[in-house]
Amino acid sequence: MTDDRFDELMRDAAQTYHRPPDAPLDEMWDIVERTAWNAASATAAARTSRWSLRSPGWAIAATLIVGIGLGRASMIFNRTSPTLPTAQAPSPVNTVASVRTDSSTAEPYEAETSKYLGQTAALLIALPSEVRGGRADDQFVARAGELLTRTRLLLDSPAAADPSMRSLLDDLELVLAQVVRLQNNHTSRTELDLINRALEQRDVIPRLRTAVADNSAN
Amino acid sequence: MTKSVVALQSSYRVSEPDLIARVVAGDRIAARELYDAHASRVFRLAFRLTGDADLAREFTQDTFVRAFSQLSRFRGDAALSTWLHRITVTVVANAMRKVKRFRERETDLEDVHPISSEGAGVDPVLRERLHRAIDALPEIYRTTVIMHDIEGYTHTEIAEVLGVAEGTCKSRLSQARAQLRATLADLAPEFES
Repeated sequence: MTDDRFDELMRDAAQTYHRPPDAPLDEMWDIVERTAWNAASATAAARTSRWSLRSPGWAIAATLIVGIGLGRASMIFNRTSPTLPTAQAPSPVNTVASVRTDSSTAEPYEAETSKYLGQTAALLIALPSEVRGGRADDQFVARAGELLTRTRLLLDSPAAADPSMRSLLDDLELVLAQVVRLQNNHTSRTELDLINRALEQRDVIPRLRTAVADNSAN
Repeated sequence: MTKSVVALQSSYRVSEPDLIARVVAGDRIAARELYDAHASRVFRLAFRLTGDADLAREFTQDTFVRAFSQLSRFRGDAALSTWLHRITVTVVANAMRKVKRFRERETDLEDVHPISSEGAGVDPVLRERLHRAIDALPEIYRTTVIMHDIEGYTHTEIAEVLGVAEGTCKSRLSQARAQLRATLADLAPEFES
């Protein structure tokens, strides 16, 4: 009897515990396609341009993936890659001095990391004006979602070998994850307050600005 | 679902290994088809583990981002669904450790989510207590309970996804249930064994 009652309770839990809503398949696919799928295709790549790079996000993701590949290859063969990733023209801003690793393996990541930091800084600085009534514009949130994925790719790459860079990326991952949550209907003023508090407590914007400024100086 | 995928599916069915080969070769429609076949289940598992639609969406995306980038290395030793669910559980576990850092600050600010009124035969207080008890289980027990008792995976499937022996999986489930019973004992004394 005891077992029966407990089993009944567990059967009830199967219906009521974290009951999933319908999966937003198309929305999720948009992000998957923009990041991993197209980036992965760009690795192969550069061999054939089977799919057009219609948006800057594609090229950026492609650059990141190619950069990671080059970095790993250079680690394996213990030599410096002589060129930057070719999927996109190199940015005039090429290094992030304050967070740059000493290892030569970091070079392929520098241009992409630099762009990423600049874009993330721009997004976070624009956050207060973009969020009205506790709800962010869909495009703004989608952009944060892309940056979040790129943060995670960078965290998995040698670009995060430097402790200060890893720390910055960790904090950005947390903050961007919070920004992505702003899209939801249950978003409240509290969510925005939490983001602002996280930004202040972790000194995220000043650290980002310093990284970008140091980078420009180089 | 896109029209092209619908057209593809209605015209012919390809086996999963063929579909995987096409994706690896760069076929985007095949990728979408593979995604459509598995994304709902991955999202469902992610939601059960997180209880948060935004996080579930984010982790589902991450799962497929990683899966597509590593698909050429998938050898087919296990079912693709097992491989995908393994990535999902890993992505969720890694990310939730960070999310919890935020949640610790949020808990006193957020409202308690109302419990669904479905399953009216069960005492709502007991139900809520059980939900909280599941939330509070250690991660390895919680994952096992959710996959087995909530989502209906078999021990064999869970063992493959978690990379443990089937016996370990059964043992974890038994331990988890014992903890849940103990937690509920004051509300339902007959659970005390």
